[in-house]
Amino acid sequence: MITKRSLYYWVKTSDLKLQSLLLFIIAISIATRVFPLEMQKRIVNLAIGLGKVDLLFLYCGLYLAAVVVTGGLKFAINILQTKLGQETLARIRKELYDHILTLPLGFFRKASAGMIVSSLVTEVVAAGELVGQAVAVPLNNVLTLVAFAAYMFYLNPILAALSFVIYPFILFSIPAMQRRANEANKARVDATRLISGKIGETISGIHEVHSNAGYRIENRRFGEMVDQLLKIRITWNIYRNAIKVMNNLFQNMGPFVLFIVGGYLAIHGRFDLGALVAFLSAYEKLYDPWKELLEFYQIYQDAKVSYKRLMEYFDIAPEFALEPHERPPHLMTGSIQVKDLYFSPGGGIHLLKQINLDLKPGEHLALVGASGSGKSTLALCIAQLQKYTSGSVKVDGKEVSDLTKRDIAENMGMVAQSPYIFDGTIKENLRYSCEALIEGESGTSESKRELPTLDEMIQVIQQVGLFVDVLRFGLSTMLPSDRDDELAAKIVRIRRRFQDEFGESLAESVEFLDEENYLYHASVATNLCYGTPNQEDFKKERLHDSAYFLDFLESVQLRALLLELGRELAIQFVDVLEHLPPEEILFEQSPIAANEIDEYRDLVPMLEGHAAHQLSEEAQSKLLRLALRFSPGIHTMVALSDDLEKRILAARMLFIQKIQQELPGAFSFYLSSDYIHSQTILSNILYGKPRTDHPNALERINQSIIHLLIEEDLLERIVELGMEFKVGTRGDRLSGGQRQKLAIARTLLKDPPIVILDEATAALDNASQKRIQNLVETQWRARTTVIAVVHRLDIIRGYDKIAVMKAGKILEMGSYDDLIARKGMLYELIHGTKAGLL
Amino acid sequence: MSSSTEPKQGSCEYKDNLEIVMHIPIFVGLPLEPLKVLTYFCKRATFFPGDILVHEQEMDPNAYFIISGTVALTLDSSPENIILEFGEMDFLGALSLFCTRKRLFTLKAKTKATCLILPRDKFQKTLEQFPEIGRQIFEALAKSICRWEARLITEHALGCPECRAAIGPTVV
Ligand SMILES: Nc1ncnc2c1ncn2[C@@H]1O[C@H](COP(=O)(O)OP(=O)(O)O)[C@@H](O)[C@H]1O
Ligand SMILES: [Mg+2]
Repeated sequence: MITKRSLYYWVKTSDLKLQSLLLFIIAISIATRVFPLEMQKRIVNLAIGLGKVDLLFLYCGLYLAAVVVTGGLKFAINILQTKLGQETLARIRKELYDHILTLPLGFFRKASAGMIVSSLVTEVVAAGELVGQAVAVPLNNVLTLVAFAAYMFYLNPILAALSFVIYPFILFSIPAMQRRANEANKARVDATRLISGKIGETISGIHEVHSNAGYRIENRRFGEMVDQLLKIRITWNIYRNAIKVMNNLFQNMGPFVLFIVGGYLAIHGRFDLGALVAFLSAYEKLYDPWKELLEFYQIYQDAKVSYKRLMEYFDIAPEFALEPHERPPHLMTGSIQVKDLYFSPGGGIHLLKQINLDLKPGEHLALVGASGSGKSTLALCIAQLQKYTSGSVKVDGKEVSDLTKRDIAENMGMVAQSPYIFDGTIKENLRYSCEALIEGESGTSESKRELPTLDEMIQVIQQVGLFVDVLRFGLSTMLPSDRDDELAAKIVRIRRRFQDEFGESLAESVEFLDEENYLYHASVATNLCYGTPNQEDFKKERLHDSAYFLDFLESVQLRALLLELGRELAIQFVDVLEHLPPEEILFEQSPIAANEIDEYRDLVPMLEGHAAHQLSEEAQSKLLRLALRFSPGIHTMVALSDDLEKRILAARMLFIQKIQQELPGAFSFYLSSDYIHSQTILSNILYGKPRTDHPNALERINQSIIHLLIEEDLLERIVELGMEFKVGTRGDRLSGGQRQKLAIARTLLKDPPIVILDEATAALDNASQKRIQNLVETQWRARTTVIAVVHRLDIIRGYDKIAVMKAGKILEMGSYDDLIARKGMLYELIHGTKAGLL
Repeated sequence: MSSSTEPKQGSCEYKDNLEIVMHIPIFVGLPLEPLKVLTYFCKRATFFPGDILVHEQEMDPNAYFIISGTVALTLDSSPENIILEFGEMDFLGALSLFCTRKRLFTLKAKTKATCLILPRDKFQKTLEQFPEIGRQIFEALAKSICRWEARLITEHALGCPECRAAIGPTVV
């Protein structure tokens, strides 16, 4: 297991070819490093001393060459080190992640996501980098040291011995200080982990933070942790730097000894000057490798501490084997026997007591009981998501705890109480279970599964009642303008049929685009321009500042009127909105956006007693922005006068003409024969705006559109687009019901012999719940073993067996009719005085 | 169904709505500021005969004021039996403004009906901004429930021994 490996293991298993190459380069580079010293000596003694210019050139040339080669080799060493280090880092990350994913669920109840992120992203870095350096750095520097030292002994043994006197002191004092630094480092790792955990938790719970306005609490807690970390980091760095300073100090004492003794010897002629210069250079050269050795030592110590901490944290064995050994995964029929099952999370509590169950393949069992009675726990034990304490759970006669994860995945499908939907598309989420099985099979001979086809996916989303939702997502997509002209053309055809066939009956629900008529559910800007801008300065957030557009408004005498409208809007809406917190949902019915309210509140007092054209340019721009957004059908607080309506309509015609003459292409004007790429497919079919956001009306419109899509054979194409809908992190862009339906659909696609549903329909409305129940009773009848934790008693009649649980025990079990006839717990729950308490 | 009246010169939907909201029994006598905010949150909608406003057993996050038309209250178990009918000036769903509950009845448009719809979340936001109106609204609500039961007792329970077991919600 990865967590048992020492740092040394990663060195051993790193790319050995690279490591040997590295050693080879190091050996050469050491020679090229000592070489200049010898040249130095010869330059002084032979070339300068004897006054030979040709020797001077020769030695200098050799010196230069040696320095350049050393530089090049050093670079090569660095590259190799980086490669080794980064590769090891990637290896540790992958293998550790692999291990983490298989840890028992209990582990994740304690560990937070943030902590794991910080472990995998930051804490392993030190270990990886160390491995890159582990061979090269110590070896390189020790050898360099030895080479220089040998050279120094060769020059003058006594001086050499003297200059090495200090090192034993250094070797003794540094580890003592490093131990303290390690203590601090350990504390730092822990504190960093806590902080990461905290951040992760806060961000996942951001809904709760916002709804309670808990920013202060969160910030205070975070602040406390950060301060704690601050202290630890300062201590840690002080120790690290103290080591460096001390080392420097010792090192700098070296030349002192040399000057005194060497100088004395030189004055008395017992030591030539060239040798003294070379000796001093050699001593200086000792400094770098020694410093690097020390740095390596520190990196090694830090890496050792974080690595140990890291591995200790994840040092838990997976509870179950992952892959079957030398056999294909079992294919089961789905019989389940539970015998004397106990589960205790520790501390003497039993969450499950003496559970006995027997299900034949295809039998359906409903688990009922008050919340907290252990239903989910039982489901988890059967699904191998929770390791039971004693007793046995057998599937097809095989003990569940002896089965591998693969066996379970092949044979069981589980829909959890609050299923997890991954960030990605609907399609990716639908195929998740199947894809996992296929990936599991890859590399083995039994690859026989295939990814579900579009038809199969459409079938399951229909079965769970998600079809219309997905269709709606499809209808809300925008087609990219450079693709799929054929689809666009078909949609325009549907648009025409929609107008012909439903135009009249839906006239009350939809406001159709019409060159001659004012659109009450569209903005003044849309009504004026009647098209999609293709030029930046005509986009709706910039239009009110476009000089061209302002000139146009002036020329049709609309500018003053619109400023007046803007002023009325500002006054009326600020009057009401200033009492509200700036939340977007509260500003839906206003032309002022939530983040703009302060701006307009400050503006309103200036509006009193001034005509609009007397205001500053900035104020006028703000008013015009508001006026251009105004949609009388949505912003009902202000009415649109007949006069203004007529003028805008007249201006529209002039604007279209003007643009066509002066700036052709600046707008794509709405034409009933053109696809509008800036709008959704739905808007393109409607070719207008719904007059309401009430679900009933939208439903009626949808029905008509679906009808046409079927006739034009486009339904599947649109659903396919809808499957690409991005569901957001944790499926946040789906409703709770949609998430549950998606999870059920996922299991349906996988079609395993055993299905476990844990309140899988709790978030669904009545109709959807009935639909799913119906599905369970038909699709899975006598074919799939079903264990369903059921939260509503009116859907349990269809089950072969019903088990009533209380405080971790099954109190009674039998068919619905038997249990009712017995007038026991179930009868009491349904008919008794305690009915409704479930 | 759709928003009914298109804005016309001189008339402003918001002003009409404000007039209506001011006279809804549980809102009568509230200061103008909160009334304006509540009105701002109201939306008009038109329902056609057979349209369902509220489904039994489903969460409905709205209260309804009927501007015109008739709606009928039924139970899903016997959809033909109309329990009650509501018409112009009736206000339904005041309790849903205060708590999320599954609806116990189905509400269906009998004729074409125009309603003013007030969503709970927005009502709650208004309460947060004007906490003092909560007491007043609650009192009005409690009174109307008591009045209702008083009527039940005098009209039915006295003459019908079986009905007696069914009365008593105001004892809560
Ligand atoms: N791992 C655990 N450690 C301690 N208590 C747990 C654990 N899992 C569940 N519980 C407790 O066990 C009880 C049963 O939980 P559960 O099976 O989820 O109930 P149900 O699904 O019937 O509502 C609950 O009181 C819950 O708090
Ligand atoms: Mg549960």
